[in-house]
Amino acid sequence: MFGEGLLTGMGVTWKHFWGKKETFCYPEEKLPMTERFRGGHLVLDHKKCIACSLCSLACPNQAIKLKIVPDAKKKRHMQSYVHLVGRCLYCNLCVEACNMHALSWDKNYAISSWHKEEMEDELVTAEGLAYFHEVMEKAKAEAEAEAKVAAEKAEAEKTGGDA
Amino acid sequence: MDILNMMMGQGVVSTLADQLHNLFMLLFDNAVVAGFLMKCVGIGAILGIISVAAIVFTYGERKVCAFMQVRIGPNRVGGRFGLLQPIADMLKLMSKEDIIPQGCDRVVWALGPMLLFVPTALIYAFFPFDNGVALADVNVGIFLMLAISSQAVLPFLISGYASNSKYAFIGGMRTVAQMLSYEAPMVFSLLGVVMLSGSMRMSDIVNAQSEQLWFILMQPIAFVVFVISATAETNRVPFDLVEGEAEIVAGPFAEYSGMRWALFFLAEYANLLSVSILTTVFFLGGWNGPFLPGVVWFGLKVLAMVFVFMWFRWTFPRTRIDQMLAFSWKILLPLALVNVLFTGVGIYARQWM
Amino acid sequence: MPKTETYTLSMGPQHPSTHGVLQVRLDLDGENILKATPYMGYLHRGIEKLLESRTYIQGVPYTDRLDYVSSMNNNLGYCRAVEELAQIEVPERAEYIRVIVAELNRIASHLVFIGSLANDLGAVTGMIYAFRDREKILDLFDLVCGARMTFHYIRVGGVSADLPPEFAAKCDEFLKIVPEFMQEYEDILTGNEILQHRLHGTSPMTKEQALSHNMTGPNIRAVGIPFDIRKVDGYGLYPKFEFDVPVGENGDNWDRYRVRYQEIYESAKIIRQALDGLPEGDIMAKFPKVLRPPKGEVFSRTEGTRGELGFYIVSDGSTKPYRVHIRRPSFINLQGLDDMCRGMLIGDSVAAFSAIDPLMGEVDC
Repeated sequence: MFGEGLLTGMGVTWKHFWGKKETFCYPEEKLPMTERFRGGHLVLDHKKCIACSLCSLACPNQAIKLKIVPDAKKKRHMQSYVHLVGRCLYCNLCVEACNMHALSWDKNYAISSWHKEEMEDELVTAEGLAYFHEVMEKAKAEAEAEAKVAAEKAEAEKTGGDA
Repeated sequence: MDILNMMMGQGVVSTLADQLHNLFMLLFDNAVVAGFLMKCVGIGAILGIISVAAIVFTYGERKVCAFMQVRIGPNRVGGRFGLLQPIADMLKLMSKEDIIPQGCDRVVWALGPMLLFVPTALIYAFFPFDNGVALADVNVGIFLMLAISSQAVLPFLISGYASNSKYAFIGGMRTVAQMLSYEAPMVFSLLGVVMLSGSMRMSDIVNAQSEQLWFILMQPIAFVVFVISATAETNRVPFDLVEGEAEIVAGPFAEYSGMRWALFFLAEYANLLSVSILTTVFFLGGWNGPFLPGVVWFGLKVLAMVFVFMWFRWTFPRTRIDQMLAFSWKILLPLALVNVLFTGVGIYARQWM
Repeated sequence: MPKTETYTLSMGPQHPSTHGVLQVRLDLDGENILKATPYMGYLHRGIEKLLESRTYIQGVPYTDRLDYVSSMNNNLGYCRAVEELAQIEVPERAEYIRVIVAELNRIASHLVFIGSLANDLGAVTGMIYAFRDREKILDLFDLVCGARMTFHYIRVGGVSADLPPEFAAKCDEFLKIVPEFMQEYEDILTGNEILQHRLHGTSPMTKEQALSHNMTGPNIRAVGIPFDIRKVDGYGLYPKFEFDVPVGENGDNWDRYRVRYQEIYESAKIIRQALDGLPEGDIMAKFPKVLRPPKGEVFSRTEGTRGELGFYIVSDGSTKPYRVHIRRPSFINLQGLDDMCRGMLIGDSVAAFSAIDPLMGEVDC
């Protein structure tokens, strides 16, 4: 009979009217992010990073700007690691490219910002920068010490040769 | 004493009205002035009912819609049930820019929403909210009500025409086709009710239902026809072709913003309330009911009808214009006529027996 | 005799019912449509050119953005083309996983179709129900690859990660509720007489018309031609699975709706078989990190959710493709809009857009 389908449909909405609701009240209730969730800011473990720039090369959209400084011993260190959030595709290729597992996502998806400038995220933290300077100083000191040793050696050889 | 009085049929509202009238008589000692003041109070009360209804129904509609769609609806403004949501909506609408489209017929365009509100509010004068509570309980109540409510076609058409927008114009034309064709089955479905009660006065119809059965039981076909054509008259789903969001954006309202748009909105909810009241009066026995005061029964029945209309809206898809018109002329109108025929035969048979 | 004239109504690019930024100009005589002309290009991002300036592996995330409702199928299409070009053998487990995720995505995409069709016809509640159930599939994808829209899960040579251990149970749970929610749509949408009247007999297409427009996917199956590349080409593991190709009879909007409706069941069937037969093994083929396919060209087609999704790639032997062309099914299906809309009413045009199920990301590419 005409109208039967209409009544069945009304039955469905009637059932849902009294039934359980699916809404999550967002800021109060937050769903847990999955283990593999890709999103938010990148996190760089400055102790693991070897400044090989593979992540930057893997990025399809050139969203990673690196400033790599070689220390006195010709070893490369990361001084600045800028993640251009606005260009990021969240494809995970950088994280997968890292052989040292130094990159990860912080999973904080609430990253909206007012200004375009805020969409450039510096991954090398103050701590990381301090570490960078420490390492640089250390390398410099080591290099100087080595140079000193070498110079002394050379001096000794020289004087020894003279003798 | 008062409670007993109420139980005896003199409703709580009319008791209050009587007391107010007595107060005016005491103050002014003039029957004409007191009568005039009473009418003013009545008009104020009706406008108040419409405004309150618009506020309550926006909230109700959002909640009903959300609950049917497995959501929880407004839950931020005013506690966890979002009770102040309609106030927030209203403030938003009032603070909006009043955009006047270029090339529109400005006078007519501005007149549209205001004119629409007039017939919508005017028909409230005839509604019997309780025993003896009606602003104008005229003996041709149904006739006047239908005549006035059919004037609501024009404001839609003129605001559609004056907007200088094709969407609005199509919407306006659709309104005319839709409202005119659903007027006919609506009138014929009411004819059965009028034949049974033998009067066009609304309070007589309600009284007839307290003597006989509720007319929903005696006139089920007329009830169905009336509810369907009332849905069409109020431009609600499944007959919301006038607004037809997915097709013609918002129809005649497309070019309005802010408070002008809110007037359309107000008229829509006033219409929703008035068709619910009409259904209650004609088919659900008006204020009749045991134990509770008449006005409470009346309110409950009206709210139930409003819920039914909302339920329709959030369940059904939209019809197409040709199907909708065909449905009116080819199915509803013959059904209503057959109903009139059977009612006549039934009345004659009862007299003969 | 009053003078009448036709007029043009511009639907879109900002309109509640055009999916994305499609503009359709309707030549109207009153409510009757004389001609419907789709205007496209509002969402053009130059994905083909982008793919040409990225290495083969870097190109995969861009295919996510083609048809953003069924990214897995796009990933699959592109990866299959590159694998064919570079002659990479994909491990069996990866193939199974690909089938599972691609078919899950097909269900998700068809749910979006049902939802948006319902929404365009005014049944907003039906849309919310469809999106509610699609959400469950997105949860599964979130578990698998960590994203809900742009998955980038299927990679050249396999898939990016193995299925998580809890996936099988959750997918099983989802497959169990498929008939439940489908019954709900049956009740609220399919059985609804108003919807039936809206869809039956509207925008009909003959076999000849559909073929001349080179329509593919559910749109051509609706006219009664059982053209499904999963069956015709039998690529990947599809010959191993048992499934039917649902076809329509009249080629009207109702058949387009029913074909997709039935395809959800068929996809669920395939996922069930793939889950049961999932072998152990590698998920990634062994190939050099810097991929340099030999000189040559390839056209590889897969059954996307909207039809034949083809990738034509020319390699000049370097790390980047020399030329990429994408055969986007939505774009080609949309060409039939005029034939579908002629002689119908404005309300039908909306149903016709929905029934073609174009996705502007794919149309404009």
